[in-house]
Amino acid sequence: MKVQIRKANDVTILDCSGDVDLYSSPHLRETLMKEMHAGSPAVLVNMAEVGYIDSSGIATLVEGLQLSRQTKTRFGLFGLKGNARSVLELARLHKVFAIFNDEPEALEKISSTEPFGGL
Amino acid sequence: MGGVEVTKIVTSSDPRLLHVLRGVVRYRAQEAGFEESDAEGLAMAIDEAASNVIRHTYGNRHDARLALEIWTYPDRMEFVLEDSGPKVEPGEVQPRPLEDVRPGGLGTFFIKSFVDECSYEENFPAGNRLKLVKYFARKVSASDESPD
Repeated sequence: MKVQIRKANDVTILDCSGDVDLYSSPHLRETLMKEMHAGSPAVLVNMAEVGYIDSSGIATLVEGLQLSRQTKTRFGLFGLKGNARSVLELARLHKVFAIFNDEPEALEKISSTEPFGGL
Repeated sequence: MGGVEVTKIVTSSDPRLLHVLRGVVRYRAQEAGFEESDAEGLAMAIDEAASNVIRHTYGNRHDARLALEIWTYPDRMEFVLEDSGPKVEPGEVQPRPLEDVRPGGLGTFFIKSFVDECSYEENFPAGNRLKLVKYFARKVSASDESPD
């Protein structure tokens, strides 16, 4: 899995690609935590190129959501498809995260999204 | 055992190799007739079970033994994951309630979501053998059959 970081205005976007599993999720966690503490008002995770995510990857996203409350960072996901979308729905977490269809929608709506999720 | 052993993979408990297990399970499940979505679910169930072994049974050791057997029967596939770690108490392996939103605890939930049966082989002498079963068509229990 690769994670690339970029900025769109003042929003930090993490472009993830590949499989997020027990081996790779620590890398996503480290990057997510670092960016969450870096003071960006919003962090978005681009899941469009994630073909697989397991429970350790989902735990990382939940941890990011919890940290977003502490750091007062708006946090959302976009581009979910296939396995990633279905497992989030199966675990009923699609109602907990701010999830957007694509990047334009995410950038448009993240600033008006309830900032810290439902945890 | 009465079935056909199609595949047996013996590997180390290295998380870098989990994608290999997922790939083999996906391929064998689709080859045996499961739809892509079921094959993906089975790959995730085996991935989660192997991850549990690596994290909990082996305490994140990456050099221990992990073996997967894939058996195909006319009505089902069985996936047997074998480790040589300390005995697991099946009662301790329970999914957390979904309303308790927190990091972790979903692996067992996903395993049970994607297979029809999940059990440990009781008399295995050393280590653990976890058997996951998926039927090609869900079994109809007596209570589901209504008399005409």
